[in-house]
Amino acid sequence: MFIFIVFYSIIIEIKQINAKLRMVRIKMSEDIKEDMKKLREEIASLKEQLRDVMERERRRSHGIYIDVGNRVRDYMEDVMESVAEGIHGELEKSIFIGPRGVRIIRKEEAPREEGEVEVSFPKVAEVMSALGQEHRLRILKELIGGGKYINELQEKLSEITASTLSSHLKVLEEAGLVVQEKVRGRYLITMPGRTAYKMATRITKFLERRDIE
Amino acid sequence: MTWQNYQLDNTILKADEALTLWQIEKGIIEISKNTLAIPIKLDKQRKGYVFHGHSKLVLDTIVETQEGAIGKPVEKEINEPFLMIGDTEEIQQHLTIASKEDLTSMGYENEKGFITKAEDLRRKFLGKRRMHAHQCRDENNGFIFAFPNETGKLDMLIAKGSKLVYKAIDRVFVSTKNKVVLKTPKEVILSSDQRSFVIKKES
Repeated sequence: MFIFIVFYSIIIEIKQINAKLRMVRIKMSEDIKEDMKKLREEIASLKEQLRDVMERERRRSHGIYIDVGNRVRDYMEDVMESVAEGIHGELEKSIFIGPRGVRIIRKEEAPREEGEVEVSFPKVAEVMSALGQEHRLRILKELIGGGKYINELQEKLSEITASTLSSHLKVLEEAGLVVQEKVRGRYLITMPGRTAYKMATRITKFLERRDIE
Repeated sequence: MTWQNYQLDNTILKADEALTLWQIEKGIIEISKNTLAIPIKLDKQRKGYVFHGHSKLVLDTIVETQEGAIGKPVEKEINEPFLMIGDTEEIQQHLTIASKEDLTSMGYENEKGFITKAEDLRRKFLGKRRMHAHQCRDENNGFIFAFPNETGKLDMLIAKGSKLVYKAIDRVFVSTKNKVVLKTPKEVILSSDQRSFVIKKES
């Protein structure tokens, strides 16, 4: 009888332990599931962040990533909204993409249009006239390589006299395409001079190509 | 700290020939024959002069960039008194005592007229405060020139060797061996070892 009672209490104890173990297993399973869920969410979030970083890096390496300040960004959003609303040309008024970069014009600022630029035609004619002579173009070409003294230019343009060379240089100087140092006496091509020379040669090349076509 | 005064001498001199006061690759200042001069002294030593004559300032305030040159040279006739602090040794050999006729030819009735103008210029240059000795020291061939401009203020030219700073109404020009900066009312140009930046002001 005593043995039976001991045996029975042991069985009960084992059952209780089993029950506890089951409870622990269930609890652990739930905890693990919870942890797994959190981990999955974290992984997804990290993947998202990684994608963002990679995309930003890719754009930056391609030179199209633009990190603008909040005010500019807000303004850009406003502009884009306006475009979405169908205000034709709003974007064009707000952003001018020139050959040297992007220029953002503030809303209150008047848009710049070619027609509004005031041009002094006599000045344009003076510049074009200065360019319209073979020797003067050759002088500009020589000066693109660096500042030169008059005797160095004379060597390069030996077919013209010293006085002709001086008068050509005077014309170029008056048009603002060349500047002369007053102390050393070297002649230098100016920024407008270089641009004008490039423009003249490009137009000529363009016209030549059209002739061939 | 020692503070010392630069004072005008009361001797009026004149240049016995045309002189070059300062010259480097980018600039030159010349005075004509018979230009009047009053020495500026510090502790009985000549540290500079106030000149008045037909003088000339030429300065190539031009910046060379890969896209072309920017700026124009300065070429000014200086017919007003101007001040120079710097090496006086060479100059004083070519200065002699000025006569009354020399003063008259420059529009002064007497010595006092020139001294008063020179004193005004000295005060304007040094300000009401006294200048610290090292600020005007003429060691290492340093020069300071002050030219009155149309606004009544002074255009300044400070030079030491090939280093140069010129500040006028319409431009500021700084030049060292490899670097040049030019500031005009429309743009700022910086050039350093073949690289250059142009910052344009929107009008």
